[in-house]
Amino acid sequence: SGLVSLLVFVLALEAQALTPSHYLVASDVDRLQAVLSQPFTDLKSAYFSVVGLSKLGVSVADSNDACSFIKANVDSSSIEALFYAAEASQAISSCEIHVSNETRDSLHAAVSEDSTVSQIHQAVSALSSLGLPLASQEVVSALKARISKEDNVVAITLALQTASRLSQQAELGEILEEIEDLAARLDDLGGVYLQFEEGLEATALFVSAAYALSDHVDMEPPLKEDQVIQLVNSIFSKKSWDSLSEAFSVASAAAALSNNRFHKPVVVSAVGPATVSHSHPLLQLHVTDVLCQPLSSANVLVESATSVASKAAILSQTPFTLRDGIFELNFMASKPASGYYQFSVAVTGDSRLVANHVELKVKVSTKVAINNMDLSVVDKDQSIGTKTTRVEYPNKGKASFIADSHQNFAMTFQLVDETTGVELTPHQTFVRLHNQKTGQEVVFVAEPDSKNLYKFELDTAERKTEFDSISGTYALYLMVGDATLENPVLWNVADVVLKFPDEEAPSTVQSKNLYVPKPEIQHLFREPEKRPPTVLSNTFTALVLSPFLLLLILWFKLGANISNFSFSPSSVLFHVGHAAMLGLMYVYWTHLNMFQTLKYLAIIGSLTFLAGNRMLAQKAVKRYSLHHL
Amino acid sequence: MSLSVIAVISRFLEEYRSSTSNKLKVIDAYLLYILLTGAFQFLYCLLVGTFPFNSFLSGFISSVGSFILAVCLRIQINPQNKGDFLSVSPERAFADFLFAHTVLHLVVVNFIG
Repeated sequence: SGLVSLLVFVLALEAQALTPSHYLVASDVDRLQAVLSQPFTDLKSAYFSVVGLSKLGVSVADSNDACSFIKANVDSSSIEALFYAAEASQAISSCEIHVSNETRDSLHAAVSEDSTVSQIHQAVSALSSLGLPLASQEVVSALKARISKEDNVVAITLALQTASRLSQQAELGEILEEIEDLAARLDDLGGVYLQFEEGLEATALFVSAAYALSDHVDMEPPLKEDQVIQLVNSIFSKKSWDSLSEAFSVASAAAALSNNRFHKPVVVSAVGPATVSHSHPLLQLHVTDVLCQPLSSANVLVESATSVASKAAILSQTPFTLRDGIFELNFMASKPASGYYQFSVAVTGDSRLVANHVELKVKVSTKVAINNMDLSVVDKDQSIGTKTTRVEYPNKGKASFIADSHQNFAMTFQLVDETTGVELTPHQTFVRLHNQKTGQEVVFVAEPDSKNLYKFELDTAERKTEFDSISGTYALYLMVGDATLENPVLWNVADVVLKFPDEEAPSTVQSKNLYVPKPEIQHLFREPEKRPPTVLSNTFTALVLSPFLLLLILWFKLGANISNFSFSPSSVLFHVGHAAMLGLMYVYWTHLNMFQTLKYLAIIGSLTFLAGNRMLAQKAVKRYSLHHL
Repeated sequence: MSLSVIAVISRFLEEYRSSTSNKLKVIDAYLLYILLTGAFQFLYCLLVGTFPFNSFLSGFISSVGSFILAVCLRIQINPQNKGDFLSVSPERAFADFLFAHTVLHLVVVNFIG
């Protein structure tokens, strides 16, 4: 039993297989074709356009024009030009390029270990397209040597492409193994995408090269089904292409994925929203390959269709019919109740199909009918008999209903499916009371009981807070809505006059408007710090400066004087310079920055230093001579 | 006890008056001036608060720095210390004093804000 549960688990996992979330739709394929159909500017763009269109199964607009363009622009001395010309001319029917023996020899010479993989690829493809013989084994050894030197994604992809043009007898085994190595280098992004960090073009070219080579040697490429779908997601996530080469690579990849021997990804999508109803009973699906071509030979089957709500199975193993490229099924014929259904669709008929089990959520819509709408005013003490009035949709009750604090207002009704008469319980069943005079509205929810009969009761006294005790005439509306209803209902059933006790003066209701301008926020700039009073500051300034006075007095008392002042130029210059330096300090404080100050200080300082040095030297001489008299 | 302190102080003052040269007394007066300036700044800071702190610091450091430089000048000029400062003439001491002051004032003015 452990084995059985393991098997069930594995099967359950398989049922969760990846399906493409990004794919080309018809308009995208048209856009791709339009990009590739732009007029040629040079031989390279002609190659991309002609060969790209042929991959999409379309021939270029004016093939004679294209052929003459190619012949006119081919430069026999360039391997690259020969490659473009040869490939393009082969894609155009009855367009042949003739090359001289010299050209043929230069192409052969390009196949060597000294050429790059790109050059070898171009030479080999040109030779092959021109129908010239080539030595496959030489090519293989040259490629092997180059792969070890140029170990990047683009180079190895070109090597794979080249190998697919060689003879099947050549030893392509080692090159074939490169597919697996390259596949290992793909980055898995979130389990959804698989691509090279080199980008979309590299990934797309890898896919086309891998399948070209696999088809050529008839060996399945080592790509798992989920990986193939992740590659599909990566390559077809971009719906407009930056360059002609990018568009070409996408077209190549699309052609490879829609027509190779091993893997054929299937794209299943609903035509429009996946909704059926009595007016539109058919569920229509597009079942196509990656190039948006319908898989006309496939069998599309609903394996099971279960109701999401009740988990009951409605369909099992029911086939779709193909009409005009679209697969259809009349789901309403099975008379499903309205709601959501989980479809499990399988596409069979070709062993190559990948992602051929798809889960789809289908909605069945219906129209609702309101039956047995009964309105009544019930007295709370039940002494007076209830008066029930029936109102038919969409009419309005003729008389108003009056309810004051001693009475309750009651409403019962049924909601049924218009066609089948089955009772429905939609998501939204609201009773709205709208006071036309004040604009106030109050909304209540009507709840179904166990027999799916909807009841609404309004106790005037209990609910007076919702109404702000404003008495008056209220229009009563019934609102019915649901995602599966085609006809949502807003029905003015009747007018109800409510009388509340302790009525306040009716004030007009101010609708709570969230989107009025809010009061402006005044920005509070940083308050400057509190300073001490000016008087105090001034006092202390005077106090701090006062010792200077004392100094002058003391110096005077000591008899300090400047009687010995010699008016020599250096002395004068020194004092002037020194005064200038002090002045500079003041100017620095008020105006300058450090750099300017240092600049001025350097000038004044050096002058002062020289003058001072001279002056002090003179003083020293004087002192020395005095002492040594 | 207090009598001996007063006696010591008056004796010190007498010695000072008689034995110090005029030049040194001039510098001592300057030292007293610097001291008082610094003390008053500190008093302000204690009483009123440290705002603006950078100004207080630069002013106070200026006083302290000037005091130290003046003391150095006094030591170097004093003929009694001639033995310790054989390579430094009084003129050289004064030049050093001026240069150091320039640097000090540059820093002080930068910081005063």
